[in-house]
Amino acid sequence: MLRSYLKLAFKVLWRRKFFTAISLFGISLTLVVLLVVTALFDHAFAPHAPETRLDRTLGIYTLGLRGPQASSSGSPGYGFLDRYARDLPGAERMAIYSVQQRAISYVGGRKLVSWLKRTDGDFWKILDFSFVEGGPFTAEDEAERHFVAVINESTRDRFFGHLGEGGPSGKGATAVGKTITLDGQRFRVVGVVEDVPFLRFSPFADVWVPISTYRSSGYRHQLRGGFQALVLAKSKASMPLIREELQSRLADVQFPDPREFDHAYTGAETELEAISRIMFSDTMERAHPGRLLAILVTMALLFMVLPAVNLVNLNLSRILERGGEIGVRKAFGGSSRELVGQFLVENVVVTLLGGALAVGLSVLVLDAIQASGVIPYAHLDLNLRIFAWGLGLTLFFGVLSGVYPAWKMARMHPVDALRGRSS
Amino acid sequence: MIRLDNVSKVYRTERVETLALDNVNLEVEAGEFLAVMGPSGCGKSTLLNLMGLLDEPTDGGVALDGEPIERYRDTRLARLRNQKLGFVFQQFHLIPDLSVTDNVEIPLLYRRLSNRERRRRALAALERVGLSSRVHHFPTQLSGGQQQRVAIARAIVGGPKVILADEPTGNLDSQMGDEVMEILEELNRDGATVVMVTHDARLAERTHRTVRLFDGRQVH
Repeated sequence: MLRSYLKLAFKVLWRRKFFTAISLFGISLTLVVLLVVTALFDHAFAPHAPETRLDRTLGIYTLGLRGPQASSSGSPGYGFLDRYARDLPGAERMAIYSVQQRAISYVGGRKLVSWLKRTDGDFWKILDFSFVEGGPFTAEDEAERHFVAVINESTRDRFFGHLGEGGPSGKGATAVGKTITLDGQRFRVVGVVEDVPFLRFSPFADVWVPISTYRSSGYRHQLRGGFQALVLAKSKASMPLIREELQSRLADVQFPDPREFDHAYTGAETELEAISRIMFSDTMERAHPGRLLAILVTMALLFMVLPAVNLVNLNLSRILERGGEIGVRKAFGGSSRELVGQFLVENVVVTLLGGALAVGLSVLVLDAIQASGVIPYAHLDLNLRIFAWGLGLTLFFGVLSGVYPAWKMARMHPVDALRGRSS
Repeated sequence: MIRLDNVSKVYRTERVETLALDNVNLEVEAGEFLAVMGPSGCGKSTLLNLMGLLDEPTDGGVALDGEPIERYRDTRLARLRNQKLGFVFQQFHLIPDLSVTDNVEIPLLYRRLSNRERRRRALAALERVGLSSRVHHFPTQLSGGQQQRVAIARAIVGGPKVILADEPTGNLDSQMGDEVMEILEELNRDGATVVMVTHDARLAERTHRTVRLFDGRQVH
């Protein structure tokens, strides 16, 4: 039966080329936008190198302080993370890193601006960077205050391109063993990694150096400011334990001036929870990551409704045209349910065609976004996960826009249908 | 085979109420070839639609093959039509996008049959109406008589006990009409009950019995 439905669906589409073209245009345009948004979302939040263990990674991104007179929140300080967030039960490792800052260099008379992040040795064990040269610096480098650096490929090309063998573009130069100077500090390059997309907030930087290379060691005691931490749980099951333990430790926080602040609040959270909390100005105790997803899903639905209604209208306008067929099918034993199935299959076929078109167009749009450089170091592509989402969206769109016309067609009285008039 | 007891049918719109059938009593025996005649608008097609379970009477009862049809749900009526009835329409109602064979297969789509078996039965039905050489054609490539023969093949492919033909020769010239009539007669000889609505007294004379309607009433 399905083969017969499919055969008829293609023939109907081919017969009404103008209708098919309009339908495909509307469907593919809608799906292109949704696929591009999905690809961007996937690019920012799905597990990709170097964040391949997101399912068991928590971050400590914010620390709030409250006192009798004031309250304030921002990134935690190294002192807080070092004293209260280490050795959490259930955690396999914990890494502390600075929030990236701009660092200035002068190379061959050119001023270069790089994003600099200072990290410890475990940072390289929690995150899964792809090294194209050398390797990461270690906990020992950090402890011994070695002035070593890991840089990304773009930074290597900017600093050493003119020395390389990669032709006019200067790409392909080697960097390990060479030195770079950032904000007046010299670092020996020990590794080169593939560029990390800007939207990967925790790992993103151009240059990574040990935390201990700060000019002053004052950061070591600060409760607040300039740092964040990643906690790799032993398993997903141990994540609640980590969260609870961190909360319980807040009671032990020692405040330098209890008259100013005497209460601290923070949380170990996923990236999505953190984004949701920031977007909705939620407190740490009341973050609603589900709300962000709900809003995104609702927006996607609303975005689909208009073209779906358009397709519904087009389909409805064709009911009379197919009245004879509906009447015949009913007369020869087709139930309303079977006819709904048939017309839904037809609609899903046209939306799947639109979906295939949309996949092709989405690749072009994503290439264009990537080439424009709007999102630094973005690697936008349609992977299997996005393709699965696209397929799901397409089928949903097909059913959404097909159910009502199919139901309306199938409900036609057979006598009316045979006479070519609507009920 | 088909029994109508005190059947009335009223069509209601916002302004008008039309009595299409008025207290009709009729029994069609198994194996009978019955003609239904009458002027336009007398209720012939309504009567056929009620016999074919395509419509419900406003009053009275319809029984098919000894089974009273009362408040049956859509799915059950669809199954009954599929198993026991075959329709032939004046307008043929072939689906232009489907080949002759695919059109004939339609009733079998609603049965649990393999593709091969469906195809086999459709080809056999087409052979029976003399269209073996046109199985890959599309309806628009056929003459009116050939299209009606395809429609008859579609009506008989499921092996129904009853064939309901609504002016099957109305759109055909006399020669083609005779060909179609001969096929219906042959099907009747092979055991099918045939009810045919017609304006043509010459064709009605070839059936076993003629029922005449006038203004929705059975006149004799």
